[in-house]
Amino acid sequence: MRNVLVGPVSVVGRASMGLMATLGGATMLLGRILRALLPPRFDRDEAWRQLYAVGVKSSAIVMVTALFVGAIMVIQTAFYVQRTGATSLLGFGVGFTVFAEIGPILIGLMFSGRVGANNTAELGTMVVTEQVDALRALAIDPIGYLVVPRFIAMIVMMLMLMALGDVFAIIGAALTADTLVGVDPSVLIGDILDSHLLDEYLLGLGKAFCFGVSISVLSCWYGLGVRGGATGVGRAVNNSVVANAAAIFFIDFVMGWIFPVGL
Amino acid sequence: MNAALERGFRAVGAPLVAVGSHAFGIYSVFAQVVMALLKGAVRWREVVRQSYLIGNRSLFFITVTLGFLGLISVYQVASQIQRILPDFTMMGPAFIQLMWREFAPTITGLMIATRVGSGIAAEIGSMVVTEQVDALRMCNADPVRYLIVPRTIASTVMVMMLTIYAVFIATIAGMVLADVVFNVSPSTFVSLSMVSGQDVVLGLVKALSFGFWIPIVAGQAGLSASGGSAGVGWATTRAVVASSFAVILLDFIISGIGYTVFDL
Amino acid sequence: MIEFIDIHKSFGPKHVLRGVSLTVEQGQVLYLVGSSGAGKSVLVKHLVGLLRPDSGRIVLDGRDITWLSEAEFYPVRKKCAMVFQNSTLFDSMTVLDNVALPYRKHHRLDRAEASRRALEKLALVDMEHAARRFPGDLGDGLRKRVAIARALTLDPEFVIFDEPTTGLDPVAAANVDQLIRSLRNDTGVTAIVVSHDLRSIFTVADRIAMIYEGHIRLDGTPEDFRRSADPVVSQFIHGRPDGPMKI
Repeated sequence: MRNVLVGPVSVVGRASMGLMATLGGATMLLGRILRALLPPRFDRDEAWRQLYAVGVKSSAIVMVTALFVGAIMVIQTAFYVQRTGATSLLGFGVGFTVFAEIGPILIGLMFSGRVGANNTAELGTMVVTEQVDALRALAIDPIGYLVVPRFIAMIVMMLMLMALGDVFAIIGAALTADTLVGVDPSVLIGDILDSHLLDEYLLGLGKAFCFGVSISVLSCWYGLGVRGGATGVGRAVNNSVVANAAAIFFIDFVMGWIFPVGL
Repeated sequence: MNAALERGFRAVGAPLVAVGSHAFGIYSVFAQVVMALLKGAVRWREVVRQSYLIGNRSLFFITVTLGFLGLISVYQVASQIQRILPDFTMMGPAFIQLMWREFAPTITGLMIATRVGSGIAAEIGSMVVTEQVDALRMCNADPVRYLIVPRTIASTVMVMMLTIYAVFIATIAGMVLADVVFNVSPSTFVSLSMVSGQDVVLGLVKALSFGFWIPIVAGQAGLSASGGSAGVGWATTRAVVASSFAVILLDFIISGIGYTVFDL
Repeated sequence: MIEFIDIHKSFGPKHVLRGVSLTVEQGQVLYLVGSSGAGKSVLVKHLVGLLRPDSGRIVLDGRDITWLSEAEFYPVRKKCAMVFQNSTLFDSMTVLDNVALPYRKHHRLDRAEASRRALEKLALVDMEHAARRFPGDLGDGLRKRVAIARALTLDPEFVIFDEPTTGLDPVAAANVDQLIRSLRNDTGVTAIVVSHDLRSIFTVADRIAMIYEGHIRLDGTPEDFRRSADPVVSQFIHGRPDGPMKI
């Protein structure tokens, strides 16, 4: 009986304590990053290298994901449009969900899985092999050298990939509309363009910017906090992707609440 | 000219070869899992333990993510309805239907791919690089049967359970928001009038296939880890990407077949 | 001159250093010896601020550096370089870029000039032939040489070597010993070497300090160690399996 009562409380308590520790640590890291940016004190060469590396790692998976997101949204929207007979809303429905809601969430999750997880693994490996200590011993600040370039690269790339991903989602939607739903692609694309979805598109980019911040800060924080060899690195990547997924849904909610879009 | 041509072929070919060998690796783990299941060689005690780790331990995570998803989708949809036709009677039923058909299974699948997929790869990957998997082989314990089969069964059952839970949580969150912000009474919002048996079946088929494939894809990534902590990190990353992508791909295939063949 | 004054350090319940006091004079090769886990590496990491003591003070050239902030430690680290046990080269960069990095970051040199100076340092350890290779392609002994070259880039007065010969084959180990010796003779740096490699202790050291159970057990010349009547010291330097040493 006692366990039934205390169990859930202690689970929630422990989860909240963990949440507070993560939030506090990540906020402090963000503060240190911002301090290193004003005035800019970070390694430009490393920033270029990170931009290239992040782009190469994530562009293929984001584009393929976007194709399927568009495809799935067409199928789901078509189901409702068929039942209600409101064919004119197909373009709006697809465009709205892809630009403002499901597109950002799924592209953000994929980016977090590919780039965020990889970043935690890389930094974690540098910590357990003492490469971060070696940087400090060479009197090089790990924040300015390792973290800030990754922070910049992830924000820039997340924005670019979201802009590009929206295009691929529309392509995926058009292809599926043609083959599965029997709607001419040019009609669908015309509908989407006529639906005045600029606000939705900008909201998606705004979300991408915030995802970029949270993915880079959280993944760096978990990476730099790794303890205990190969097992520690694996566990840190696990924690990092979980925290990032929760952050993505939270940001999505807050942004959608602050900036209402639509008709 | 030839050198440029060769470089071009390499740039296109190398990723294709990598994806191909990756897919073959997943297929081979899949075949071994099926063989083990057919033979009935299952460690049920381990299945129960993994079910707890995969299912119960994900409750908090699913509550947070699906809760926010429920809040924001109802908010978005209700704001649109408020501006065109202020009639909220259909919103709740349609929301619950869409959750069953699409979002509860897919988002739950993605969350489990993230949390459990990376966990499986991290655990098995660490065992590989510390040669514990070789030690298993030396004791004549097949790593796939020993490690991946119990996780596959557990996750298949648990993702279905969590999907039902996810519908529940998203509905509660949406209901509260609709009541507080748009004055839609809970009795109007919560209605299963639009949810057909077919919708439920479609949702559960999705959940079942996501649950079945996530441990296979992630386990294969873990088993192919090599070379210390960098290798484990890389395997974990690959597990997250590959199992999330598997969820999206399966969702597309099942939705597509459902729509075209069964008119779902 | 470096002074460690009554340093205490615990990790959880493990009280590793229990009041270590040690003075390092300029221009010496000091070997810090003791069995594995005695706290040798722990002690030297305090000098560059990678660890902070629970109590006690560290004085570098008359200045108390115990509680400097991370940023204030940077000048100290330029003065005291460290060669890590596993070399810890940055494995995403070539050997040349590894050695050029401190030049680019601290002297604000452009890439060409930094590379030129890095090649000079690599020549000092006979590694200029491997400049374009990646650390992962080199053997442990060669990686150690590159790590030494990288530590020398800031022209330090003190170089800490953390177990420089552990895990190396005998020839590579003898090579590293010779390198430490010639660095002392040619550039006049002070070397603090953490080691339990008996052969190099007696071929290279000017002075030896032995840590045992959290204290300095004996501090003296190699000759003092050979003559010591202390049963713990004599067990250690003769590598006998049984005796009073607690393992």
